Amino acid sequence: MHVNSENILSVKDLTKSVQVEDKTLVLLQPLNLTVAAGESIAVVGSSGSGKTTLLSILAGLDLPSSGQVYLKNKPLHQFNEEQRSQVRAQHVGFIFQQFLLINSLTALENVMLPAELANLTDARARGEALLEQVGLADRLDHYPSQLSGGEQQRVAIARAFIAKPDILFADEPTGNLDSKTGQHITDLIFDLNAKEGTTLVLVTHDAKLAARCQRQVEMDSGVLTEPTVEQVSNNAKTSNVESTKTQHHDVETQNSAAQATTPQVG
Amino acid sequence: MMSSANQKASTMWFTQSLRLLHHELRRGELTIIFLAIVLAVATVFSLTGFSGQIKHAIVANSTNTIGADRVLRMSSEVDLSIIEKSQSLALKSARKIETESMAFAGDNMLLSELDAVSETYPLRGELRIKTSLTQSESMVVNAPKQGSVWVEPSVLSRLDVNIGDIIEIGVAPLTIAGIVTDIPDRSYRAFIAGPTVILNIADMPKTELIQPGSRITYKYLFAGETDAIETFETWIKPQINESQRWYDAKAAQNRLSRILDTAEKFLSLASMLGIVLAAVAVAVASRRYGQRHQSTVSIFKALGASISHVRKLYCLHWTLLSCLSIATGLVVGYGLLLLGVNAIASYLSLADAPLTFVPFLTAIFTGLLCAIAFAIHPIMTLVKSSPLNVIRGFSQDKVARFGLHQLPPILALFLLLFIFSQDLVMSAALLLGGVVVSFILLLLGRGLMSAGRSVGTKAGKSWHLALANLKRRASENSVQLVSFTIAIKLLLLITVMKSSILSEWEQQFPEDTPNHYLINITQNQIDPLKTFAEENNIANQGFYHVYRGRLSAINGIKTVDEDDHDKPAQSDEKSGNQAKQETKKTEQKKSRQGMGRELGLTWRTELPEENEIIAGQWWQVGDEKPQVSIESNIAERLEVELGDDLTFTLGSDEFTVPVTSIRKVNWQSRQLNFIMVFNQSVLEQFPTTSISAWSILDKDRDLVYRFLANFPTITVMDFAAIMAQLNSIIEQVTVAIQLILILVVLAGSLVLIAQVQASMEERERELAILRTLGAKGSLLRNSVLYEFVALGAIAGLMASIGMEIAVYILQSQVFNMPGSFHFQYWLLGIGAGAFFVGTIGMLSCWRLLKLSSVTLIRRTM
Repeated sequence: MHVNSENILSVKDLTKSVQVEDKTLVLLQPLNLTVAAGESIAVVGSSGSGKTTLLSILAGLDLPSSGQVYLKNKPLHQFNEEQRSQVRAQHVGFIFQQFLLINSLTALENVMLPAELANLTDARARGEALLEQVGLADRLDHYPSQLSGGEQQRVAIARAFIAKPDILFADEPTGNLDSKTGQHITDLIFDLNAKEGTTLVLVTHDAKLAARCQRQVEMDSGVLTEPTVEQVSNNAKTSNVESTKTQHHDVETQNSAAQATTPQVG
Repeated sequence: MMSSANQKASTMWFTQSLRLLHHELRRGELTIIFLAIVLAVATVFSLTGFSGQIKHAIVANSTNTIGADRVLRMSSEVDLSIIEKSQSLALKSARKIETESMAFAGDNMLLSELDAVSETYPLRGELRIKTSLTQSESMVVNAPKQGSVWVEPSVLSRLDVNIGDIIEIGVAPLTIAGIVTDIPDRSYRAFIAGPTVILNIADMPKTELIQPGSRITYKYLFAGETDAIETFETWIKPQINESQRWYDAKAAQNRLSRILDTAEKFLSLASMLGIVLAAVAVAVASRRYGQRHQSTVSIFKALGASISHVRKLYCLHWTLLSCLSIATGLVVGYGLLLLGVNAIASYLSLADAPLTFVPFLTAIFTGLLCAIAFAIHPIMTLVKSSPLNVIRGFSQDKVARFGLHQLPPILALFLLLFIFSQDLVMSAALLLGGVVVSFILLLLGRGLMSAGRSVGTKAGKSWHLALANLKRRASENSVQLVSFTIAIKLLLLITVMKSSILSEWEQQFPEDTPNHYLINITQNQIDPLKTFAEENNIANQGFYHVYRGRLSAINGIKTVDEDDHDKPAQSDEKSGNQAKQETKKTEQKKSRQGMGRELGLTWRTELPEENEIIAGQWWQVGDEKPQVSIESNIAERLEVELGDDLTFTLGSDEFTVPVTSIRKVNWQSRQLNFIMVFNQSVLEQFPTTSISAWSILDKDRDLVYRFLANFPTITVMDFAAIMAQLNSIIEQVTVAIQLILILVVLAGSLVLIAQVQASMEERERELAILRTLGAKGSLLRNSVLYEFVALGAIAGLMASIGMEIAVYILQSQVFNMPGSFHFQYWLLGIGAGAFFVGTIGMLSCWRLLKLSSVTLIRRTM
């Protein structure tokens, strides 16, 4: 089932729970997961299922309560924030639902940022080339506020690929976009991913988007399961019909989910 | 390759920091912080630089401020033995007589300061004159020739005379031979009778101005080799009595610089209000800056930036911002300094006064304190932003109101106060006082905002919304409420002082209140004056004999004057407040506090009008037993009681009398009043001149002046002229205070704009919701406008209350007049506050109000 025998990401007995007043709230039940280099994997699940919590731990943004997380054989669970920053700078790329561009920097400067943090010498040239690839060659000096949502996400995609990350985490990358733009963005991500040979971990509740990944896992109330091939193909079919009409509703539930998770972490 | 990558890494944060700063500056996010620091630095620099230059020009730069090495000042002529002793030590000496007198030219008369100097004057420093108005270079001279005078330029215009014309001083006609440009021992008193006229001391007897009891100061100037001077000083010091003063240039300069220091301290502390507000603006703006940059830091961190990278980024960012602001502040401050120098150029040339490093250091330090102490907490919090925020969202954490993070700003405030006051106790008192006043204003302000909220529910929709918002943002509004209240209050107080109090005070006098004082009247002049006054129905208070003397002991214990520590004879080498206090304490044990000046003494047989005995008894007519009646406030200050023995020195005579009554005197009556009144037997044997107070109506003025011109030795002091001088002093002080108020208003506006910006996201959301619910544009605009108008009006109302209290205190305590309300100024205060705050508030929300509904909703939903 794994495309490559070398695992870029390996999770063992991972749990996450938080203390809310005198109660312990379990966000992630003990789970195991391995992701092979070059593989694309989708984490699907409804709002509040724990998929974003999982992503933040896998990417080294947060620490697990127990268990082990290895990214490129580096034990993230043992690392402090500084060490995890270093791992992110060297190996990780991000695409967020909210784009998360720095408003005071231009499109090009936003794209250059990870390359600069990874001490790459040709950040500008790479940035220009990538922005050209995502179709924004004429928008290099525009500020995020001067770009549409789709354009901002394209800048974010260019930024995600500039430092040639080993693994790319995408959190609901089309969640804030209309379906047509979302489709375009999805194509871009998968095209670039194939071209660069990057490992992709995609968190989404959109079954159609998830279906484009080589592998899918599902989160439900903090429990991770890997569905069968049949289940996956069924999910993709039904979502073709429903995805357009549920789009707006999903964004809302996603937002409320984000709010609901706010007190859980930290 | 590797090393080049490392090198790049080491400069990457630098490049990124510059890039961020560049963009931020262009976007105007840092404008408030930049302006606030510029304001603080420019103010401190111009104020410190200006006062430093003035001090230098007056004190340090003048070769000599006393015209000699040592001066003996007294109210009578010196004993010949002193001059002989100085000659035996080969000291040079000069004499100077100072008094005030009338100068006449035709029908014009002018009260002037008279300096009669001997041929050798000055011994140190330069007396410079010009012999024609067109002469470009002045020349160094000594005394004018006998029969001639040198005058200050204004004498020519005010008496309508020219060089070469004759003016009369007393009864002596003297020719104007030149214009004085520099006087080495010029007096820097606030009240001077008029422009200076310098004449030869040999002409003084011809003027007949020196009469017994005249207000005359005799100065003996000495200069020579240091050893000789010191020998002379050792010899003369033990002989100096209470009515004499022996001083050197340093003592005179110290006295002068102390006055300048006090003025500087007052202005600096007043400007502290503005600087504190500027710092508050920095604090508010940097908090918003911290919150706005949270996402940037989190993204940086999520993309792999280390904490140290982020810290370096923002440290450099902030350092560059501080440096840029401080440098701009220095430039602006220098511009203000030049304006100031230019403004006083006609009084005092500061062209040669160098700019020391003190204003630079003080201003830079102030700028750094503002930039660091008031921004350190938000910046530290910003640097700590978690990368996890990119997933979980950005929260605008409420900062705890009280906590350790408030320590740096409070310490910084204290440090600033200490720098400007150089007094630990005063700094602590001001800090505490400021907190208490702010607290009271806050409570009152909150009360008014709540009251406004209740009223608002009954008002229209816009007002309802506006007042509800005002109350909800009450704590954010507190700072600007306090700052605008204080600024408006001071502004109102100055306006009321300038335009109302003095005129109200003058108007309260009855019509026959004396408006002229006649001084230096000899015995044989009294009868013709009396007759003239009777014939022309001129109300007057009769004639009082005046004797000049000092209170030298109370119950046999010598008195010490408040300014006695100026005398080198009595001060030790210690300096500073502590030494002064120590000296004072030890002095109090072996001495009593004295009056600190010569007094005008008189005798009366009957209790004068406007006087009331509150203890003891007035003497019977013909009571020969020597006794004195003392004024009640002075008795309290000097701790003198009935039965105490007071010793007085009149010239070389000394006598002791018991206090038999204590009088309450109405000083505001403009009647002739005396602190010490004796019975006839005590003073009658001393020679004297008299004084009288006349009420001269405008229609009689020419007649009276022409008559008085027959008695040129009489000095006439016009009360209107004194009031005019008082007004001009108030005018000058007002200019200085107004400049500081402009600073306060500017800084307050910055705080207001910073607060509005900090609430901008919240306001956007509110407007979007209201728009969605179908609110009209005019309703939204009005609600925003009314919110600021109400804030300004509340500040104006509190300021008016504060002003009225201050005015009442001034009226009852200083001017002894009944209190009166000034409602027209309440309207002015409330109106000006509402207009100003309303305008600034609307301008800062303008961008928001101009947004279309669609944009507004899209931006916030």
